[in-house]
Amino acid sequence: MSSCRKRCKREILKFAQYLFRFITGTLNADSVEDELELSAARHRPEALEQLEAQTRFSRKELQILYRGFKNECPSGVVNEDTFKEIYSQFFPQGDASTYAHFLFDAFDTDHNGSVSFEDFVMGLSILLRGTVQEKLNWAFNLYDINKDGYITKEEMLDIIKSIYDMMGKCTYPTLKEETPRQHVEIFFQKMDKNRDGVVTIDEFIDCCQNDENIMKSMQLFENVI
Amino acid sequence: MAAGVAAWLPFARAAAIGWMPVASAPMPPPPREKRRGQDGLIILNVSGTRFQTWRNTLERYPDTLLGSTERDFFFHEETNEYFFDRDPDIFRHILNFYRTGKLHYPRHECISAYDEELAFFGIIPEIIGDCCYEEYKDRRRENTERIQDDEENENNKDLVLPELSFRESMWRAFENPHTSTMALVFYYVTGFFIAVSVMANVVETVPCSSGPNRAKEVSCGERYALAFFCLDTACVMIFTVEYLLRLIAAPSRYKFVKSVMSIIDVVAIMPYYIGLVMTDNEDVSGAFVTLRVFRVFRIFKFSRHSAGLRILGYTLKSCASELGFLLFSLTMAIIIFATVMFYAEKSSSASKFTSIPAAFWYTIVTMTTLGYGDMVPKTIMGKIFGSVCSLSGVLVIALPVPVIVSNFSRIYHQSQRAEKRRAQKKTRLARIRATKSGGANAYLQYKRNGMLADAEEEASKEAGKSLVCKINPTFETQHHHLLHCLEKTTNHEFVDEQTYETNCMEVSLTKPSMSRSSSLSSSPHGLSSCCTRRNKRKSFSVSNSNMVGGRRGSIQELSTIQIRERPMSNSRSSLNAKFEETLPLNSEEQSYITAAVISMPTPPVTTPEGGDSASSPDFLQSNIVRVSAL
Repeated sequence: MSSCRKRCKREILKFAQYLFRFITGTLNADSVEDELELSAARHRPEALEQLEAQTRFSRKELQILYRGFKNECPSGVVNEDTFKEIYSQFFPQGDASTYAHFLFDAFDTDHNGSVSFEDFVMGLSILLRGTVQEKLNWAFNLYDINKDGYITKEEMLDIIKSIYDMMGKCTYPTLKEETPRQHVEIFFQKMDKNRDGVVTIDEFIDCCQNDENIMKSMQLFENVI
Repeated sequence: MAAGVAAWLPFARAAAIGWMPVASAPMPPPPREKRRGQDGLIILNVSGTRFQTWRNTLERYPDTLLGSTERDFFFHEETNEYFFDRDPDIFRHILNFYRTGKLHYPRHECISAYDEELAFFGIIPEIIGDCCYEEYKDRRRENTERIQDDEENENNKDLVLPELSFRESMWRAFENPHTSTMALVFYYVTGFFIAVSVMANVVETVPCSSGPNRAKEVSCGERYALAFFCLDTACVMIFTVEYLLRLIAAPSRYKFVKSVMSIIDVVAIMPYYIGLVMTDNEDVSGAFVTLRVFRVFRIFKFSRHSAGLRILGYTLKSCASELGFLLFSLTMAIIIFATVMFYAEKSSSASKFTSIPAAFWYTIVTMTTLGYGDMVPKTIMGKIFGSVCSLSGVLVIALPVPVIVSNFSRIYHQSQRAEKRRAQKKTRLARIRATKSGGANAYLQYKRNGMLADAEEEASKEAGKSLVCKINPTFETQHHHLLHCLEKTTNHEFVDEQTYETNCMEVSLTKPSMSRSSSLSSSPHGLSSCCTRRNKRKSFSVSNSNMVGGRRGSIQELSTIQIRERPMSNSRSSLNAKFEETLPLNSEEQSYITAAVISMPTPPVTTPEGGDSASSPDFLQSNIVRVSAL
């Protein structure tokens, strides 16, 4: 009740202000009133030596990475929209925003809504120079959307759908409604050993280590930088 | 391929590790790094002015001169730099484009010189940023008019919109009458009925010549009451239907109901319904008559039909503060002068200025320079103050008017410019998209050239052929590899629009047969959709265990195979074939074979595996072949 009254009072005040401005002819001041734009948070990364120690990249590689990063995001942090935009440019035919969202969550390890250069480079260090165990860990973290340690079928379905979304409409054979679901079923049949409907990290890592294809593909992007 | 994010390609490729555990097919091998791109400085010598930048900066836009291998033609060995014999001032802007991703147009430069430089360096002008694009376009237009070249025909094809639901398309038709003929018809019909209704309202009150035995003249409305009533009913019917349709089609009903236009609509049709509902009561009939006044609001419905009217309304809304100020200052002046006049005229006998409110009328009429003359001051003091009043009236009214007028003019020109910009944007985006889809199609082109074959196959195949293939820069190969990985993950392939359309058509043609067979296949590859291509066959070895069983009991079907060009293979014996070895010969000039389901009950034994490649020549000549199950 009191909130209602408060709102009423606020509305009346606003109306009175409007009337006043109407009479004095300064209504347009509203638009002139500049709301201080939330200046993009400026972020300076840690020193090069520290990053070198924390990641598995060499100095030169870090330099190259930072230059590219800073060019795209002069403020030093990437927010989710920029991230989605950048990632979508690699997949012009489909819609990469959902997968980019999951990626963003995976990279943003401290969940503060933006990916700084440290987050970026840590993530890349795991993906490109990490051990297979670490890579699998990272992948598990990506799939586990709510980060509770279990991959459920719904989470997997979301991930797989987002991957299929990246393909876009013009595919061969044409994508059908049940394709992602079937894909999820296959995945669960393979991974869920104890048939409890969820995949835990151990099941996941075990199963992946026994699968030759997956092992091989993990080594695929070794020399990307 | 979108430019400017080449630096992020390593990140995108690293992120592809996320697809690996769910991939349905093994990944293709990564492309060989042809050149370990040293991240060195490049010196660009443009007519003596030295520019330096990182190599990677230039390679961000691989489809321009500086970003591709084309710049090697300008390499000057003696000085170990790239020399360009061009204008250094304009080059500065071009280099900034690489650095910042935004191309600007310097206003002091000549437009044709700038165009030439852009053309030389392979940059399309449409990329010019929004800040400079309008200026650029204006200058360009002026220039072409001046030298009287042929104007380039702007391609104004309407964008192909995705499938809209019925409701969405209806709303679009309402908002933009030019989208379809139906919408246009509806637009004109409603406009016509608004005009008819307003005219009827007006004519209703005109006195018609009465018959000889009537004492007073009656208005036409009373004489032809029934006719007018019918007309009114018809108009209200149309308006009601229109309103309901708009209400149904509106994407946000609440917003629609709140909007000004809908309120006008409601107010326009309400009097009629209220009149219907109300009985012929004596006391309320007076109110009823008043309600009919609201029918005049129908004229505001014209604002949907006229952009100028909307602009006027918007101007008034945006000038609300000026109008308010005008009103307030006028009120102030009126009160002051009315008071003064009243007290000045109080002494005169039989003066019309009986009270201050009565003097208001005089003040208003005088200040707006109307001067009806029904109230005039008689005393000397009254006349003096009266003249001061009329002089100040002119000033007070004249001041805010130019503000309002300039506002209107600004908004009007703004809307015109917005229209212009919208038209320009469409063509601009279309042109950019055309060059970009060149990039998207580059991947499909890349596939067609058989680049995705294994390295050694490729080498052996092309040894004997003078295959002129464009040497893709590293960035493109890596990007294509990434897309290929995605294809493998999902086990679907990218195709271009055309093929997709034709696939859809065939899919719909063979729908009955497919619905049956779709239940048979349990694998995600959906053999039930179309035939296989070479690389799909590889994936079958992974999961054919459940396929074979399912196939055994399938129904025989007649299917049509439509073969476009040299066919690769059929899917008949696809289940158990391991075709990797036998297929390298078919990798050039691959085309898409679209075949309907060939759901054969063929026991794998009887189908010749090796004979498939032999049987393929049979189809060389035929285009459409009917194949029945064996």
